[in-house]
Amino acid sequence: MSRLTLLTLVFGLATLLASPVRAQEAAVAIVVHPETDVDDLTMQELRSIFRGDRQFWGDGRRVTLLVRAPEADERQTILERVYEMNEDQFREFWIGKMFRAEVAAGPKLVYSSDMARELVTVIPGAITFVPVSEVSSDSRVVRIDGLLPSDPGYPLR
Amino acid sequence: MRGVRHPTTWLIVGFLIAASRLEGQTPGAETEFLRGFIFADVLYKSAEEGMTEGFFIGQTVAHANATLSENLVFFGEVSVTARSSGFTLAVERLILRYEFNDPLKVSAGRYHTPISFWNTEFHHGLWLQGSVSRPEAVKFGGSYLPVHFVGAMLEGNLTDVPLHYSAGFGNGRTENLVGAGSAGDPLGSTAFVLAASLRPRGLFGFRVGGGAYFDRISEGGVEVADERILSGHLVWDRNNVEAIAEVFHVSHRELGLDEATGSPSWYVHVGYRLPTSVRLTPYARYEEISIDEQDVVFEDVLADYEAAIVGIRYDFESYAALKAEYRGEKVGDVGRTDSWFAQASFAIPVGGS
Repeated sequence: MSRLTLLTLVFGLATLLASPVRAQEAAVAIVVHPETDVDDLTMQELRSIFRGDRQFWGDGRRVTLLVRAPEADERQTILERVYEMNEDQFREFWIGKMFRAEVAAGPKLVYSSDMARELVTVIPGAITFVPVSEVSSDSRVVRIDGLLPSDPGYPLR
Repeated sequence: MRGVRHPTTWLIVGFLIAASRLEGQTPGAETEFLRGFIFADVLYKSAEEGMTEGFFIGQTVAHANATLSENLVFFGEVSVTARSSGFTLAVERLILRYEFNDPLKVSAGRYHTPISFWNTEFHHGLWLQGSVSRPEAVKFGGSYLPVHFVGAMLEGNLTDVPLHYSAGFGNGRTENLVGAGSAGDPLGSTAFVLAASLRPRGLFGFRVGGGAYFDRISEGGVEVADERILSGHLVWDRNNVEAIAEVFHVSHRELGLDEATGSPSWYVHVGYRLPTSVRLTPYARYEEISIDEQDVVFEDVLADYEAAIVGIRYDFESYAALKAEYRGEKVGDVGRTDSWFAQASFAIPVGGS
């Protein structure tokens, strides 16, 4: 086996092994407060919640939206896939929503995945998103369209 | 309240501070856009000889939200408007709302009447709207539509159907027709308003809806006519395109008569955000109001109106925009007048990012 063939095989193997890991790391998990009675949301339901059209859970608890501060990769994923907006549109969207008295408050800012994980467990009704690689074992991860972040076809990548 | 200067400033600051103190009890996280904004604008108008021109300080508007408890929320909006003799302070909106759930929210206070999309979408924030000014039919201080409403409102978002609805009753128009009285309804004519807007989930940015408003109009303390206003809107605001079309029909039936008069109005506003790194949005609007000559309420108050508007908006900062606009207007039988406007409008998030 020539050196070139060996190198190609090693590179190909590494690519094969690395690809699923990268995809998995790029996935963004939706996490809710442990007592929130929801296991599965459709993408449309998720959009309604994140866009502030749906502000209450089924048990009457108010939704509290925790959003990562700008620059985080997972924020970009949520802006693109859920809000379908860029940063400027996102800002104008929430200012308009508050100014029209459609919502009592805009999203709450979190500055790290640790902060997101911690607050989502202490604020009843909270919902947030974190990179799947930073989901802890006690996090309540919600399926989106019936899929977990590790499943093929998961929409939030 | 005229001639208020420093007290006005302190009132607005106090209003925002008080609202921020009432912020919800969520621990450990700040709100991305906080609870308050100040909107302001400066306008330069150049017009034909005989018309007022020069610099105008527009409205300075302070807005605040507060969550008083899990279900009780407060919204307030106060404005300071520059006049030739000083400033006028006004409470534009003041709403106390109890939110049972998404489909059922009950509130009382002073609102922008949900009879027009523009009226409830942009309120007094000129930075939010695409053009220098509002369409004539919904302009503040105008008589065609009652832009403010004082009373109680039932509203909500239906979850199964993507529908937002509002239903309310309250004080009718005052005799100058501008809007509802905020200190009771001395004429005793309760007004009713109904509105609904459909926002298909699979078509984000699209809205279609309409409203109805019913009132009894008085003059000199005597009831003279029943008023019925019907409206409809069609909106597409997504990606690079902003398109808004609204129609209105104001009908008055003089008491004791069977026949009613009708005064329709419509406008179409289209803006296109250029796909460039410089945020430029050219826009155009055409609008018309046709007043029935036999209208017992509008006669001697309103005349036919039409306007063609062309302008460009430049968002040079995240919270600031410059707009340049040409407006050709025709009021009644008077010939067309041309005006040019330059406006700087901005929003200031109070303590926000």
